Amino acid sequence: MSGARDIGEGIVNPSLSIPGRLLLFVLVLFGLLPIYWLTATALMKREDVFAPDRPLFPVDPTLDNLVGFFRNDALLDSLLNSIVVSTGTAVVSVLVGGLMAYSLSKFRYRGRNAIMFMFLVGQLIPGALLLISLYLMLSSTGLLYTYTALIVAFTTFTLPLTVFLLKGIMDALPDEILEAAKVDGLSRTATMFRIVFPLVVPGLITAAMFAFMRGWSDLLFALTLAGPDKQTLPAGLTQAFIHEGTADWPSLMAASLITSLPLAVIFILLQRYFVSGLASGAVKG
Amino acid sequence: MTGGTTRRTTLSARDSLFGFMIALPAVLVFLVIAIYPLLSSLGTSLYDQSLLRPERNFVGVGNYATVWGEFVEHVGTTLTFAALATIFPVILGVTLAMLLNSRIRGRNVLRGLLMLPWLLPGVVVSFLWAWIFNDSYGVVDHVLSLLGLPGLSLLGDPVGAMAAVVIAKTWNSFPWIMVVALAVLQTLPGEQLEAATIDGATRFQRFRFVSLPHLLGPVTLVAVLEFIYNFGNFDTVFVMTGGGPGDSTTTLAVSLYQLAFGSYELGQASAMGVLWLVLLAFVTGGYLLLNRRLERS
Repeated sequence: MSGARDIGEGIVNPSLSIPGRLLLFVLVLFGLLPIYWLTATALMKREDVFAPDRPLFPVDPTLDNLVGFFRNDALLDSLLNSIVVSTGTAVVSVLVGGLMAYSLSKFRYRGRNAIMFMFLVGQLIPGALLLISLYLMLSSTGLLYTYTALIVAFTTFTLPLTVFLLKGIMDALPDEILEAAKVDGLSRTATMFRIVFPLVVPGLITAAMFAFMRGWSDLLFALTLAGPDKQTLPAGLTQAFIHEGTADWPSLMAASLITSLPLAVIFILLQRYFVSGLASGAVKG
Repeated sequence: MTGGTTRRTTLSARDSLFGFMIALPAVLVFLVIAIYPLLSSLGTSLYDQSLLRPERNFVGVGNYATVWGEFVEHVGTTLTFAALATIFPVILGVTLAMLLNSRIRGRNVLRGLLMLPWLLPGVVVSFLWAWIFNDSYGVVDHVLSLLGLPGLSLLGDPVGAMAAVVIAKTWNSFPWIMVVALAVLQTLPGEQLEAATIDGATRFQRFRFVSLPHLLGPVTLVAVLEFIYNFGNFDTVFVMTGGGPGDSTTTLAVSLYQLAFGSYELGQASAMGVLWLVLLAFVTGGYLLLNRRLERS
């Protein structure tokens, strides 16, 4: 097999021509220069950024902007809120979504297709369409401006995501495992908790991380349902910087960098799962 | 669905009941937090309801008449944004996938690094590009002036602002398409490409007649998804331009937000949402049909 594969590989993966290399270089620049500029600005002194002959490199780098984030109480509160709410969203989504996924993957019953359809379509509902009703609903139950409000709102988009991601993973579990458990006299509940879920722990973690990331990144609900005390970082950044006449760009870029860092760490930990998750269409762009 | 036939024969009625019971929590949660709110906005849209007043008055379709003109205008803007912010990432993503699907040093590192734009929260993407295109201190205009060229001042200009938000969203979305396309290309049957080469096909012909047919299905699917998500996009536009200058970049999501939390007109905002939902139903229907057709083939 490897021999035949090698011959094929040479054709599938030809080496790039000079114009091809040039094009790749330009596109990579488009992809990476903004990341450079984000980092560079975060390390620049304020006066350098606004100087007429402002440099394109942090010639005299400083950590003041990054340190400044941790001296800003409002932003620190937002960071804490982000951690609590995103973790809560991930836990709820994986618990509820895990049961749902197991049900869709291994059982047949009336209404199963309708349920699947509901989540498939639900995945495509923009948050703005739920915003007003959620606001009124949370307000009348006294949950507005609480952590619960944000977790509820984030679950509207993380639940379909975890359901489909985990269903895909559970579909790959051979039914023989379940049959064997049955023969061994294990109850359905015990089979689920002692056999099935332990087998898909990497999938559960991946789903939790995806849900965490989506919750971490949301702006619309964070801006409207959390109030000033419970808002997460995206809303915190927006409130802190968007209304300033002359925005403090180095501080904003430093705060942006810190906001993005946890997602980069998760990405590195889960890189190999990302590709399959993205390719399955379970994750939005 | 693998093994569905063997399993179905051994499933008892009590198994089915168990399957239904463990589905219930998710179904109930989703009905309460997503489906009910979606339907209840129908009710709200028939009332003159404001965040500033406790009571509300029934106005029938009055809100629809009020927001209709605005809705039509913002649909145009939203369509423009959603279409452009889908086409460009598709072109960029597929091109990069083709280029990276070659023998080139550091390919995996490049692929990992190019995922970064997708990874950043939408707010960060928007702030970053707002800074890059900043009229007074932005790096694009600064570099242009170093080269002796006039600045673009994109964000101050209606067409320029649309271009700026499309560029930002393109930058944010292309990695997703790139990864999907690359996954397809790496599973291409080598024999077909080999046979084409032996038959004397040029590189372009190999792309057109071997790679492209395989790419078409999956890439169309993600393109439609991307379009649907872009249609509901809030953070890119809201943070970068706030919908301006004027109304030039006001998408439906931004407009709905401004109606509800800027003017506190919940009834009118709900009417806008219902009109949007009707439109979305058509697009989603198209997606589901496409999804089914691709699954069958």
